[in-house]
Amino acid sequence: MAASLTGLLKPWTPRVLLVRWSRYNPYYLEPEPRKEVYHIPETELTPEQKEERELKSVRPIKAATNSVTSSVFNDPVLSKFVNMMMKDGDKIIAKGIITQTLENMKRKQVEKYHKAPEGKKAEIECNPYAIFHQALENCKPVIGLASIQKGGKFYQVPIPLTDNRRRFLAMKWMITECRDNKHRRTLMYEKLSQELLAAFSKEGNVVKRKHELHKMAESNRAYAHYRWW
Amino acid sequence: MAASGGRTVGSFLWKCGNCCFNFNTVSSNLTRQVLSRQLCVSAVLHRKNLAAAGPEKFSEEFIKKQVEEFNIGKRHLANMMGEDPETFTQGDINRSIAYLFPSGLFDKKAKPLMKHPDEVFPKQRAVQWGADGRPFHFLFYTGKQSYYSLMHVSTGSLVGSRWLLKEELEELLVETISEHDYARFIQLMERLLSLPYCSVEEDFVQRYRRQLEIQSSKQQVQPLQYDQHGVAYSTGDGRRKTATGTVLLRDSGSGSISINGTNYVHYFPVLQDREQLMFPLHFMGVLGRFDMQCSVSGGGHSSQAGALRLAISRAMLSFLSEGQVETMRQAGLLTPDPRIKERKKPGQEGARRKFTWKKR
Repeated sequence: MAASLTGLLKPWTPRVLLVRWSRYNPYYLEPEPRKEVYHIPETELTPEQKEERELKSVRPIKAATNSVTSSVFNDPVLSKFVNMMMKDGDKIIAKGIITQTLENMKRKQVEKYHKAPEGKKAEIECNPYAIFHQALENCKPVIGLASIQKGGKFYQVPIPLTDNRRRFLAMKWMITECRDNKHRRTLMYEKLSQELLAAFSKEGNVVKRKHELHKMAESNRAYAHYRWW
Repeated sequence: MAASGGRTVGSFLWKCGNCCFNFNTVSSNLTRQVLSRQLCVSAVLHRKNLAAAGPEKFSEEFIKKQVEEFNIGKRHLANMMGEDPETFTQGDINRSIAYLFPSGLFDKKAKPLMKHPDEVFPKQRAVQWGADGRPFHFLFYTGKQSYYSLMHVSTGSLVGSRWLLKEELEELLVETISEHDYARFIQLMERLLSLPYCSVEEDFVQRYRRQLEIQSSKQQVQPLQYDQHGVAYSTGDGRRKTATGTVLLRDSGSGSISINGTNYVHYFPVLQDREQLMFPLHFMGVLGRFDMQCSVSGGGHSSQAGALRLAISRAMLSFLSEGQVETMRQAGLLTPDPRIKERKKPGQEGARRKFTWKKR
């Protein structure tokens, strides 16, 4: 009895090696590194949260990854963006680019703020994290296309996208846009800050690409019933 | 009333049956049963469920006032009858009322009555919806919310327990069971739990479940040690990939960290590694409290930082309470990271990368 349960708590290799497997037994739960979650008093928890807490107290928890901290500056979306921008595992350079981008955005916005008349000052957003999140939201497509084979021909069928897929597409478009369509002499952080500010005000190439995808999906509406899921 | 009516009708039919032919007795018995049943049913239909009739006719303050008046009246009655107000039971009240207000009426319900308002006024439900018109109970629109929620009462928390293992079940039954038998047993027990009214069999189900142990009790917390100046200190060690680190945590209070003799800012020029060192301290809110002397070897800069983070968390355990140990565990600080470099496989260039595919 004890043997078979402690077997669940060791580093693990599955019997059948799937393509995506991890060294943790599926019995382990994800960690919660944020501080404020643990300061909610007992009375303000919903029954689901109480049950989740009970479950967490009997199950082993995975270790927190290297890029995760309880600090207020830790942003999961930003970490994902840094990882996507990383080449050959060089996170130091990717993180450096992002930091420079955020600084650049802040400088531009503050400059705009000081030049603006009194009435318009309140509308200018100076927080680079807020700009980043809003820009990413503006780039996320609502509907996507899938290539489905029917009767020998391939049709582009409009399909709904999951949240993860939407976020991934927005980030991917942003990064490819900044890598390809820039002058040889402009640096990455400069181009990225320009694109993010443009996306924040719903202009720029990335938002245009999103609109094109939407138009394609709208034009292929007739094939929507080819989707079977 | 209805029963006596049924009996008179039944006796009448019986007489008819006796007068008539013998083979009609069967049908007349049936008709007697049918008729008597119908009479019983019709009497039940007239008796309405007053409680479920409609929204409350009596407000809460009204009922409270009635209860107060009843209690005062009870004491007055006891005084009138010359008895002790403290030990005046309902039977005494009934006898006193029958004595003081003799009634020649036959119907018991028409006679004067003094009962507790809870027995007189029907039980009623409070208003089922809030100010926005949204009902409180999720089964409100079934019409019979209490009934349906009763039908689906689930057993008490199953979160902290597990089913018996095959070996345990064999031990319990003193018989050998095959794997198929065991799988069937688990399937049937799960089916039992999914049916409504399963809480009735809670005892039966709990006999075949074992409590899971609380994980945080498995943490080995070293007791605190004190050096010659009376300052508390503790050690911890941790490993990540191929890096090993040890930490000496001292409770002096300046927040200085030295790693292998050098300052941590010089040893870890990357921000992410320094953040990893600070993670357990920031999480518990003790950033400036401890002095640390660390030594680390092996691996790269990230794995060294991870090893030191685990070592710091383990050393901190001696300074923390039980609840804090549990929160640290749930934040993922106390689990050693089992991820290692995946091995290279034969026939492939790396762990995942295959050789270039050549058509011919």
